[in-house]
Amino acid sequence: MSKLWKEFSKGLWKDLPPFKVVLGLCPVLAVTKTADNGFGMGLAVIFVLTMSNVLVSIFRKIIPPKVRIACFIVIAASLVVSVELLMQAFAYPLYQQLGIFVPLIVVNCIILGRAEAFASKNPILLSAVDGLGMGIGFTISLTLLGGIRELFGYGTLFGTRIMPEHYKPFSFMVEAPGAFVCLGLMLSAMNIFTSWQARRKGQAVLDNPGHECRSCGICSR
Amino acid sequence: MKEGLKMIAVLTLICGMFSVTLAGLKEATESRIEEQVLTYVQGPAINQVLSGFDNSPVTDRMKFTVHGTEERVTVFPALKEGLLLGVALETFTKGHGGEVGVMVGFNLSGENLSGIAITTMKETPGIGARIAGHGFTSQFKDHSMDVELTSKGGSIEGIAGATTSSTASVEAVKQAVSIFQKIKPQITQAWPGGS
Repeated sequence: MSKLWKEFSKGLWKDLPPFKVVLGLCPVLAVTKTADNGFGMGLAVIFVLTMSNVLVSIFRKIIPPKVRIACFIVIAASLVVSVELLMQAFAYPLYQQLGIFVPLIVVNCIILGRAEAFASKNPILLSAVDGLGMGIGFTISLTLLGGIRELFGYGTLFGTRIMPEHYKPFSFMVEAPGAFVCLGLMLSAMNIFTSWQARRKGQAVLDNPGHECRSCGICSR
Repeated sequence: MKEGLKMIAVLTLICGMFSVTLAGLKEATESRIEEQVLTYVQGPAINQVLSGFDNSPVTDRMKFTVHGTEERVTVFPALKEGLLLGVALETFTKGHGGEVGVMVGFNLSGENLSGIAITTMKETPGIGARIAGHGFTSQFKDHSMDVELTSKGGSIEGIAGATTSSTASVEAVKQAVSIFQKIKPQITQAWPGGS
């Protein structure tokens, strides 16, 4: 049980995608214009990630190592097409909004990353839990990022007005550069929090790689 | 050698299995997706190009075979008190970034277009995508069936910098006009004409 919880919860903070592992940035930056979009994308990723982890784990014994990447991609791609079809059939407005980004889940590095790093080495249940945890973490991150951008960019949250009437929308936030800036600010906030937490516990603070010229070695040669 | 055979076998097995699953799923969701497209894409487009009707053009739609070809087109009728006011039909042409779908509405009484609306397109945002804007599509409202871009001596103003997209939508309208003229007898037979 504790092992299950460990695998599940690591996706929620310790390895929280996309902030801690910095994988799958393409959908993160592209679809988080509103909290709604981020949430929808997150749900699709939860489904694909959990199912692909389960399937990769089932087939892990018979997949020859040399063609494993091809097999993982076939699995992920089939799941994505299924999601696309189901979305078209049952949530067409969401499909219209996410558009091109649904097919792009195939190349979302988190899917391949978890398949390669976890599901191909672990039993089915653990892989499912890992995928679910990572997926939920991803959904929360996307919803949060989308929420912040929507709040400042449109003055709304999940489509309802939050900011006072006279608030002038800061449209930079819903454009592409706003996504980068917002993601960067959130990343640095998380890093500050992590090092503050470590210092409080009396652990060594993880330092950034040194910024002195000695550690680089490119120009000293 | 043995390893190579195993790789081929496993890859074939996995690909085969997933193709069967996907084909099944596609079959299972097909009718439902068609319904959703009708509600969310074609329905709103029909409301833009036809007006004054009291029926549901989507539920009353009918398929016709174009005379002389094998082509089948779906026609959406606008009826008022059971009499036909106009019809809408959708045509596709190739644009700059893929297919451009245009819903074209026809007035039955005045023999002119009642309007057009873009249903699907993947044109460049900000340039070609402006064909879906009101400025471009409103030119077709109550226009005669003879449509042509100004650059070719007609009266429809294309979008600057988006010749391919403008031409594609005009071509789609022309295509719809020629289909409409071919199937007009069948249409008036299917629904009693008004005015």
